[in-house]
Parts: sequence; C-alpha cells; structure tokens
Amino acid sequence: MNDARSEILKAIGKVSANPTAIAAQAQRLRAGACRPDRVNGPADAVFIERLRSPGVAATAERVATMQDFPDAVRRYLAAQQLTPALALQPHPDLQALDWSGISTHEHIATDEPVAVGLALGGIAETGSLVFHSSPVSPTLFCFLPLHHIVAVRASQIWPWLEDYADAFAGCAQPRNVNLITGASGTTDIEGTLVRGAHGPGWLHAVLIGNAE
Amino acid sequence: MNHAPDFDSRVAAALANPTLKVAIERTTGTARTKRAAAMAAWPEFPAARALGRDIKDHVIENLAHYLVAFEKNADAAGTKVHWARTGEEACQIVVDICRKAGAKSVTRAKSMLGEEIGLPHALEAAGLERVETDLAEHIIQLAGDPPSHIVWPALHKTREQVAELFRAHHRDPGAMATVEAMVASARRQLREKFMAADVGISGANFLVADTGAVCTVTNEGNAELTTTPPRIHIVTAGIEKLVPSTAHAMAMLRLLVRSATGAELTQYTTFHNGPKRAQDRDGPDEFHIVLVDAGRTRMLNEGLAEMLRCIRCGACLNHCVVYRQIGGHAYGATYPGPMGSVLTPMLDGLEQAQDLPRACTLNGQCQEVCPVAIPLPTLLRGWREKSWQRGFEPARVRWALALWRFTAMRPRLYEFAGNIGLRIMPLFAHGGWISRMPLAGGWTAHRDMPSPSGGTFLAQYRRRFKK
Repeated sequence: MNDARSEILKAIGKVSANPTAIAAQAQRLRAGACRPDRVNGPADAVFIERLRSPGVAATAERVATMQDFPDAVRRYLAAQQLTPALALQPHPDLQALDWSGISTHEHIATDEPVAVGLALGGIAETGSLVFHSSPVSPTLFCFLPLHHIVAVRASQIWPWLEDYADAFAGCAQPRNVNLITGASGTTDIEGTLVRGAHGPGWLHAVLIGNAE
Repeated sequence: MNHAPDFDSRVAAALANPTLKVAIERTTGTARTKRAAAMAAWPEFPAARALGRDIKDHVIENLAHYLVAFEKNADAAGTKVHWARTGEEACQIVVDICRKAGAKSVTRAKSMLGEEIGLPHALEAAGLERVETDLAEHIIQLAGDPPSHIVWPALHKTREQVAELFRAHHRDPGAMATVEAMVASARRQLREKFMAADVGISGANFLVADTGAVCTVTNEGNAELTTTPPRIHIVTAGIEKLVPSTAHAMAMLRLLVRSATGAELTQYTTFHNGPKRAQDRDGPDEFHIVLVDAGRTRMLNEGLAEMLRCIRCGACLNHCVVYRQIGGHAYGATYPGPMGSVLTPMLDGLEQAQDLPRACTLNGQCQEVCPVAIPLPTLLRGWREKSWQRGFEPARVRWALALWRFTAMRPRLYEFAGNIGLRIMPLFAHGGWISRMPLAGGWTAHRDMPSPSGGTFLAQYRRRFKK
C-alpha cells in the first residue's frame, strides 16, 4: 500500500518546510482563557464536587489514608447489600492492604459484580479518573464490573485536562489511557439516560488523604 | 451509499410516517435542551469555538506534516499503519487482516467512517460474523436499517419498536417494560460476544500526531470492551482526524461533547496506543490503523477544506428544521442533515446527490451551533451554484425561476401578481389557515399555510414609509 501512501501525500500537495514553525504555531493554539471557569478552588475539592455533580453522578467520599480504603469498601458493600467478594486490581498498593472479611481474586470475570481499583490520578475540571494500562492496571477492570470502587490519591489530582496531558507529554505512552467520568450510560433509546449500558452501572470514588 | 433515486418520494414517505416525527423530536429535543444548558454555563464558548476552528485549520494546512508525524509515532508504539485511497481499498485492508488472522467473528464500535466506506457490508461479504456493540448500532443491525443520525443512529426507533425487536431477537429479553429493561437485555445479549470476538474494529474521534494514539469517546463503554479482549484491534480513521497533541485533543473534546450531548465529557475517553505490552494482562496482540482518504484530499483541493474541520458532533442535525421534519433516512446517504448535505455530493457525486443542498432553508442555525464554525450555508450555496452551472435543475425549476426573475425585476408587475395571490388565497382559508388549495398540495399535505394578511410587502412598505 506504499502507492496509496505516496498518492495521498502527493494529493495533499503542500510539503511542510519548517517543522519548528509548525510546532510554534501549534503551541500558540492551546486553550487557556476560553476554558469553562470550573477549577476555582483546590483541585481535590473541585474534583470531589464534580464527581458528585448531576452530570457525572458518581458517588465519592474521602478517607485519611490508604489503610482506611478497605473499610470504605466494606461500608459500600454493606450499603449496597453486596456479597463481600470482589476482583482486586493486581496493584501492589492495593494488595498490601488488609482485606480481611472480603474474598478477593485477581482475575476479572465477564459478569464481575464488584471490582476495586486504584487510579493513577484524577482531573478536577471534569471529575474524571485516570487509568494507564499496565501489568498492575489491566484495562478490563474498569469495564467489566457492575460496581467499580476506585481509590485515588488526593495529591494526584490535576486541575485541568491539559495539566494531565502536559504531565505526560514527551513520555512513553501507555497502551491505553482511560479517562473515566461517571458510570456507563446510554441515551440511545429515545434520548433517555440509562446507567449501566455495557460498562459499570455504579462508580464510587474514594479520595485518599489531602492534597498536601 | 444506498442512495435511492428519488429524494422527493423518500421525503414524502418520511413526512407521512406518523411515529417518525415523534421519535426524532424526543431525541433531538433533549439534545438541544442539554446543549443549550451546557453553553449557558460556558460564556467563553465563542472563543473556544474560534480556537477549535483554528486548531483544525492549522492541521489541515499542515496535513502532510501531521500525517507523517502520526505514522512515525504510531509505528514506534508498535502500531501497523496502513493507507487507503478509497473506501474499497480500506475495506479490503481490514478484510485481509481478518482473513490472515483466521478470524471468524468481529465486534464493532460505532464509526461513521466505517458506515461511509461500507465496512459492515464488506465484513459480512467476507463471511465474518459482525456484532455491532453500540446500543443504537445493535438496534439498527437487528432491524436491518441504516443509521439515521451520526450520534444516535437508532433515533428513528421508538421505545415500543425497540422492545419488539429485542423480544424477537434476544436470548433472554425479560419483561421489556422500561428502557432500563431494554438496556439490560442488550447488556446480557452482547456480554459473551465481546469476550469471544477475534477482531475488534473501532473508528477514531481524534488521531494524536505527537504520540501516535487514537482517541475514542463513548458513553456506554462498548468501545473498550470491543478493543481490549480480541487478539486484533483495527482502527479505520479519516485523514482529517488529526490533532497536534493530547492537549489539543482536550480542547476539541470540550467542544465535541458539549455540542453532541451537552455533557462536559463522555463517560469513557480513551487513548489507544499500540498493541499489548510485555507483561500486560489484557489488550490486543496486533494494533492496526487504516488511514483513509476517500475524497478528503479532493475536498482539500476543491474548495471544501472548511468541511474537513467537522468533528461529527451532530449539533447541526439536531438544530436543522429540515432534518427534524424528515429524519436521517430521507437523505439517502451515510451523513444526513446539513453536514451530510455538504459531504454527500462530494462522496456520491453531485448529480446523484443534487437534491440535498437544496433541502435547506439557509436559516443559518447549523453554522451558529457548529463547534468549529463551518460555514455550512455558504458551502451548501456553493453546491447549488455548481448544480445550476452543470444544468442539473429540472426544466420546470429553471422555467419557474426565469419567470420569477422576470417578474421580480419589474416591481409593478410583481405587486400585481402579489395582489392576485392576496385576493385568491383567503378564499381557501378557514380561521386564518389554509389546509387545501390548488397547486399548493406539496405544502398543505403535511401542514397548514397561514392566510396572507396586511397587503403586499410593497404596500406595507409604502404605508410605513409615509408615516
């Protein structure tokens, strides 16, 4: 298909002479003042507020330390009347915690009722959880469970979408970056919003600690 | 694609369909309300839209540069990049990858480019089981319908019709009493299909040049369940989908999502970059991207570069007075509504699609809501001019316009003709509305016409001028 490549590039015609000038022009085209005025407080506080907003409609709470996370999970399971069995994302920080009273497994099933995960961070502007796929963060943990309970460190909240992008610009990219903003939903039948289309029907975020 | 010969009869059928208008209004009405609320909370939208326009124009201006950069970075991530001049070439590449892998089943996340190039048909012709995973695409696959909207492809179906389809086709449909129950039934139906597919195929909302990543947005989570479990993930993407960097993609996402659904961000915004890495527990072994031209370089060179800004949000459809009356199928093309009426003459040929640029009142709503400020009415007028120059208008239209021109250039004659209409039309009116009148059947068959009042424009003008 090299013919196709050269023909398409030839049809475009213009050969870009100066990559430096193009890069400089692209740099000038970054969003700044025209962003919606949302992040007008500490990033972690705005983040939790966005998570709970009607548009995102996740539930969220804050605990003091990572050691308090399993208790938050226990409270959630009890409140939702769920069996204390769950898929635990194979992250060492999660595996190091005391999960007594809950049966955990590393493999995620197609119809997994509950999965517990650890996000890389969050984005305050949109209330999004950020996951980078890796051996300790398989992608399907975010998509197969019906209930997804996610820990996120308050120190890892980026104010704006661009702040997240800039933090990893020029770095090696993970296979998948997933920005997760609320539970799965669909409006495909008569525009009516229904949660739990194919991904999780419930998303619960647990903020760990304070920003500083 | 599937362009039936007679636009007028498709429109007549759509207008006569009693449930269609209700179905269209339920979804587009909600979309308009939600978009308006999102924009009310974003006073900086005009500046953001100018930026979105400038980002896209910058990319289109330097398209070769960004395509080559994207290819280099994608390749470094282990992605296999393919190039296709035409839709057929793109379909062939996809089918060849499937064949080589010995694939039997393919899951697909919604992609308008896939529809445009006829990929669903090509997969079936190659003997592959094709499973559409977006809920709306699943509905229209069961119904055997083409999509009728670029964001809500099954918008023409009422909940009652969806329930009937699911009852007929789902293994375990359940009660089907509510929309929630219908969504749950589709979830059960598609669950195993996601995990069992050999190949997952998606489109791209953006291609990020400086990382080689493909960005997709969905609300259901079906895209990630389509692209993660199978051995192979194939992306088909138009060459205009590029943005310089992830930060630029973020600026475009703000515009895209608010314009499409009124949300601030889709539930799932994913950047796919290459195949499964060492030690990864999931992800495809092979990751392919097919970069498709299919008329885009022609648009670039034939005065339609502005249309390459389009990010397929669907806002112009939701706000179009014509689309809201006739729905998507009447357009007889992959892309309906204002953006479709600009694209289709380029994709299918002007002679075939000549009716579409005329099916427009030029009220300018589409341009007003477009998040990248595409001058859609101007582009539609451009097609009308070309159509006129090439003599596609039927003789009766040319004759009527010539007659109108003759009269309009003679004010007294024009007013005389107007006065005749003013005298005759009220004879057919009841309570100020005309529901039947000779020669006006095309209008009155589907709606009433107000009876004229207050004299001709010229008479009214004279009266006010004297004051």
